[in-house]
Amino acid sequence: MDIIKINDASLCIADKDILNSVSLTIKEGETLAIIGPSGAGKSSLLKIINGLWHPYYGTVEVDGTEITHLREHELNTVRQKIAVVFQSNALFDSLTVEDNVAFFLRENTSLPEEEILERVYQELCFVNLVGTEKLEVNELSGGMKKRVAIARALAIKPKIILFDEPTAGLDPITSKLIIGLVKNVKTLGATSVIVTHTISNAFEVADRIAVVNNGEIITVSTPEELKTSDDKFIKEFISDDISVATEIYKCD
Amino acid sequence: MLIRAISGIQDYAFLLLEFFRGLKYIKKAKNDILSEMYLIGTKAFAVIAVGGLFIGVILAVEVGHHLQEFGTLTMLGKTVSLGMLRELGPIIGGLLFAARTGAKNTSELGAMQLSEQIDAMRAFGTNPVNKLVMPKIVAAVIMFFPLVIAADFIGIVSGMLISMANFNLDLGFFWNSAVAAIEFKDLFLGSIKPFFFAFFISSISCYYGFKTKGGTSGLGQATINSVVMSSLMVLVLDFTLTKIVWILLG
Repeated sequence: MDIIKINDASLCIADKDILNSVSLTIKEGETLAIIGPSGAGKSSLLKIINGLWHPYYGTVEVDGTEITHLREHELNTVRQKIAVVFQSNALFDSLTVEDNVAFFLRENTSLPEEEILERVYQELCFVNLVGTEKLEVNELSGGMKKRVAIARALAIKPKIILFDEPTAGLDPITSKLIIGLVKNVKTLGATSVIVTHTISNAFEVADRIAVVNNGEIITVSTPEELKTSDDKFIKEFISDDISVATEIYKCD
Repeated sequence: MLIRAISGIQDYAFLLLEFFRGLKYIKKAKNDILSEMYLIGTKAFAVIAVGGLFIGVILAVEVGHHLQEFGTLTMLGKTVSLGMLRELGPIIGGLLFAARTGAKNTSELGAMQLSEQIDAMRAFGTNPVNKLVMPKIVAAVIMFFPLVIAADFIGIVSGMLISMANFNLDLGFFWNSAVAAIEFKDLFLGSIKPFFFAFFISSISCYYGFKTKGGTSGLGQATINSVVMSSLMVLVLDFTLTKIVWILLG
């Protein structure tokens, strides 16, 4: 069953075309990676999936609900099924780790406090951060903040998790740790959409990979299909050979 | 410029609409409101009290010298009490409240906007107006009234003490003439102003916080705009309310 359906969506921000007639379907339980150069429209795709931005043309359907024309308060019901791990983490810096992870449970559910704290503990176990509950967010390292953001996302037991550049700005070891967590999220049964620049991460976690360039989806393929693609842009984009990639950008 | 101003007023109107819609969740926001009330009460009280104290003293000294020239120093109690209650208490309180609490609201919400914390709330299905704006406005409307009353009282008492020291006025005489001069319309005018001022100062400051963009310099600019607009709104509202009450109550 398709849990996300983007149909012919076009997005324009401040008179600039961001997405052009994009169509994409994502199956329930699937992990889809979105790759492409900077400014290609990858993060914009995430923002139209959870209704932060609305396409001026086309439709977006999430878990059977067409969200394109929903009002803000109607969207909130759909959004409560979707968790987002922001590139900047977007943690509440005046709160502790525990309060951050518990935040949306306290705001959007009527769960008793004991159950909320139990769930916070479980998610902090999942991201291996037990013992940091009472720390302020600004006392944490970049990798720890990212793990708290993942724990906060998982705490609401979402059907869909959107990861926006989850390894951006992290060292290789921490990146590996975060990618390991993203892979583990798959075992929880949620559908994941990951925007990334790092091709190796996309190949490691994704069932399918969507390649985006200039606001258009060039292809959606499995990692194996992508590796054997004849498309020049794709070949060069996924190539590790920096000099070849540089040549391509020069040609563009 | 004009289009930007109209669009700004429209966005502000939408924020107010969202605030009024969110009032049905006021019970859920009880803790946030109490915590904002605590912050306003503990942090803004000192500033407004000191403001009230000095305004009372300045008013008594300035007016006292002129009244002395005309031999009507007995009017000083009445002048200070009516001046504080009807105008200076609410205005000075409002301007200081805009500078203290309004600036805090804008910088706090602006920083949250820049670090995507407000986007995160929306993305997870939490209405940021209900969570962040509504408690601030409700708390301001509740707390600003007692702060102004305190400023009025402190101003009148400080005016009374300086009148005794400067003009050898009897404390009892000053106090009696100050209290006897107060009529219903003075109490009414002095009482409604704080509610209007608090509502507009807090909502304008939250609006500018939500609209912040452009990094740290944008945050600075948003805070300046918030304090300037709130202060101007205090003056415009003060005139409007005074005029309306004069027309209605004479």
